[in-house]
Amino acid sequence: MTVNIGFIGLGIMGKPMALNLIKGGYPLWVYGRRVESMAPLRAAGARACTSPEEVARAAEITFIMVSDTQDVEQVILGPKGVLSGAKPGTIVVDMSTISPVATRSLATRLMESGIEMLDAPVSGGESGAVDGLLSLMVGGKSEIFDRVKPLFERMGKKIVHIGANGAGQAAKACNQIAASLTIEGVAEAFTFARRSGVDPGRVREALLGGFANSRILELHGQRMLDHDFRPGFKVRLHQKDLRIVMETAHQMGIALPGSALVAQHLNALIGSGEGELDSSALVNAIERLNEGR
Amino acid sequence: MDEKMLTKVAFIGLGVMGKPMALNLIKGGYSLRVYGRRKETMIPLVEAGAIACESPEEAARECDVIFTMVTTTRDVQEVVLGERGVIAGARPGAIVVDMGTISPSATREIAARLTEAGIEALDAPVSGGGIGAVSGTLSIMVGGKPEIFERVVPLFSCMGKNIVHIGPNGAGQVAKACNQVVMLVALQGLAEAFAFARKNGLDAAKVYEALSGGAAQSRILEVLGKRMVERNYDPGIEARLHYKDIQIVLDEAHNLGMALPGTALVTQMFNALIGRGGGNQDSSQLIEVIDTLSKARP
Repeated sequence: MTVNIGFIGLGIMGKPMALNLIKGGYPLWVYGRRVESMAPLRAAGARACTSPEEVARAAEITFIMVSDTQDVEQVILGPKGVLSGAKPGTIVVDMSTISPVATRSLATRLMESGIEMLDAPVSGGESGAVDGLLSLMVGGKSEIFDRVKPLFERMGKKIVHIGANGAGQAAKACNQIAASLTIEGVAEAFTFARRSGVDPGRVREALLGGFANSRILELHGQRMLDHDFRPGFKVRLHQKDLRIVMETAHQMGIALPGSALVAQHLNALIGSGEGELDSSALVNAIERLNEGR
Repeated sequence: MDEKMLTKVAFIGLGVMGKPMALNLIKGGYSLRVYGRRKETMIPLVEAGAIACESPEEAARECDVIFTMVTTTRDVQEVVLGERGVIAGARPGAIVVDMGTISPSATREIAARLTEAGIEALDAPVSGGGIGAVSGTLSIMVGGKPEIFERVVPLFSCMGKNIVHIGPNGAGQVAKACNQVVMLVALQGLAEAFAFARKNGLDAAKVYEALSGGAAQSRILEVLGKRMVERNYDPGIEARLHYKDIQIVLDEAHNLGMALPGTALVTQMFNALIGRGGGNQDSSQLIEVIDTLSKARP
């Protein structure tokens, strides 16, 4: 059975994800705000559209991969948006990282028109997207999840249905909290090592064998040692994701003191012109705090 | 007296702060047109001689100076730029003075929109709370052109004592943000100090007395510290309003690319305070959050 697929948003993440769906043999209708972003997809056999509406009209399942909450709202609810093109019974899958609260209201709006929604934010960065090895955290009805799962498997390896609409975004927020604080911890540990006259490279090696072992210690830790801050995951995107976390915490009335502190350090990096660096550059903020000693 | 009788003044927003401020203008000899979203808020003003209006547009009509004192950035945008807003009624040359605490960037945008319509704008947020508003002893931090500021000083003098022109449009709001940073980070310090004292088995009232005579003396200690000691959390300033103000500061820091670690931490404590249902109580209740963190409450 051929299922017609739509894909909206063809940036660093969206492009390789869409290409992986084409490789899986799915007919694809695509839309990107920048017309040139559609060229590589067209070359691979996709049909280019002039609006999200046109994509949604052709597709049974429409994926969205854009930057922030406002973009997703615009793509779905805006003029010539998905909502005006999608037929009842079709499925909209938002794979962007956006607010869980906004996600729930979007799902409600779509449901009113008989359209199903999943939120399926990813973790794993550009390399994970290219290799089809992303982690996917999915929110929505389980029967809808089951229908989309074969397509998710083209894009990712670890695919987990977390719960109802918004649950995927909440899980992604948890991912950002845990990852940010770990990067901060590694940055502080290395600064502490340097200030103690100890080689942080040796420290990293030792820690990799113990309780502080983590993928972040391994990857981000190495980048910090090499002062190699090519992204990776950019500081300004990290700042954006963490802002979603902080806004949601604000709305819920819960305290996340550690995340709030890391968010301030990310602010400082942006203000220092380091927004385009990899977020392992957090070590620069900690180093600067301790300059002049 | 002549000039006062010639100056026509509007006052929009008659809540805890706006009502006493408007009354002080009437006491100062100015004739007032007022508007409040809740009609009943206009009654005490009408009794004092003000004219009640149906909309901000109507209140602004024919007026020389139009004050707004509402809660959020969105409220100000609505009242000034919205349908039947001030901008629709004010004549060119009129001065719109926003005395609420809102976003500095939004303030600059609103001022630009008003200027396009030939209307002058000042931002003049206040510090001093309900008590200061009633007694006419508020601190007023003003942003806008100096010559416009000078024209409004006689009216400001009816409402406040310490009236400072800080800089161009938005500068008043930035100064108010600084005020909130100092105050709320100090509040966190007080909450930690008194929680620490109690955990050590001390009488918090004695510590309060000692601190009041030393280098840690402050107005926050005097007023909010006392409430912590007495565990009396009747507002004062409701925590949800401080929470709104501190969020404005953090949004600006985000946009500026600047770290305010202390402010960020206090905001999280306010999240916890609101989450436990303390939004309508005094901000001094922050001490309960600190106590709970270490289960310190005896």
